[in-house]
Amino acid sequence: MGKNIAKSREKLPYWRRILDASLPVDLSYIPIGLACGILLNASGFNVWTTLMVSVMVFSGGAQFLIASLLATSAPMYSVILMMFFLELRYALLGSSLSKYLHGQSLGFTALFAASMNDENYALNYLKFSTDKKFTPKEALHVEHMTLVFWTISNLIGSLIGSAIHIDLTIVHFALTALFLYMIVVQLKNGLIILICILSGFLAAYFMVLTKSTLGLVISTIVASFIGFMAEASIRKFFPNSSLLRHIKNPAGSPEDVDE
Amino acid sequence: MEWNTTQHVWLILGCFCVAFAPRLIPLLFFRTRKIPNWFNEWMRYVPVSLFTALVVKDIFITPDYVVSVVNRAPEMIAAVIVIGIAYWTRSMAISVVLGLCAVFLLALVV
Repeated sequence: MGKNIAKSREKLPYWRRILDASLPVDLSYIPIGLACGILLNASGFNVWTTLMVSVMVFSGGAQFLIASLLATSAPMYSVILMMFFLELRYALLGSSLSKYLHGQSLGFTALFAASMNDENYALNYLKFSTDKKFTPKEALHVEHMTLVFWTISNLIGSLIGSAIHIDLTIVHFALTALFLYMIVVQLKNGLIILICILSGFLAAYFMVLTKSTLGLVISTIVASFIGFMAEASIRKFFPNSSLLRHIKNPAGSPEDVDE
Repeated sequence: MEWNTTQHVWLILGCFCVAFAPRLIPLLFFRTRKIPNWFNEWMRYVPVSLFTALVVKDIFITPDYVVSVVNRAPEMIAAVIVIGIAYWTRSMAISVVLGLCAVFLLALVV
């Protein structure tokens, strides 16, 4: 039966497969993009600058930050500096995808980097690590599909302006749920669960300490490095440790190609 | 201070540069070089650490970067629901949609 499903998926047109792969992000971008467009409009952006920022920056968090900083009349260099710290984590996304994008052309790499963000990275990382046939070109098109949904939602938000009210904290939970899903599917053994908990505490600690999202970057580097070192030492000294034993998956997902 | 459109355009160009550089540089660096094994093994822990950090930021960190659980009950309960749904269904779409419904309903009640 599984084969039949796989076969009928192969028959779908290419754009439909890309749409299917990116749909959870596409759909959550609609309310968030609308809210973002509304806020940018309120902080003085017109339709064209909204179009420009959603294509060129393409990051929900960054665009919300721009909107809120413009409202406080912060100087331009401080907005750009905060943006830098906010966007620094993308270096980690790029690093962790690099083994799948090895040897691509310069133009492709630049194009791929330009529209990579947390959400489409989540989609692509999962696809690359579970589907051997997934190509870098498909990953780029997944990025562009999410970009289209994001930009159109931003523009509509900018046009309707403040005519409707959206509760931002509730809408934003769509992304939190997406990240929670990504965490759950990656919890393959006890060590990863421990690293996950550690990362949560480190994130809170470093964000309070740095008063910025730079804390995200520091905690991610520290937690992932501890995970890497712990795995290496456990493999060396306690090869039969239960920490690295696979946790049973109730839904039975496809085998990981990393293993 | 009201900003005009020219200033907005400059701001966007500046933001584009600081957003593009961190995305591009690692990909460019590893495009042709051989990626060392230890680096790949380290990077395998990046997604789970980063996503946990983002969730902690979304749920427990206020915009002024203080840890707080005040008025966060709907998100906290909904997060537990999403974890359960994700664990049992392994479906991204169902997790996101039911998570949104849960937080919306809980915000009305709690």
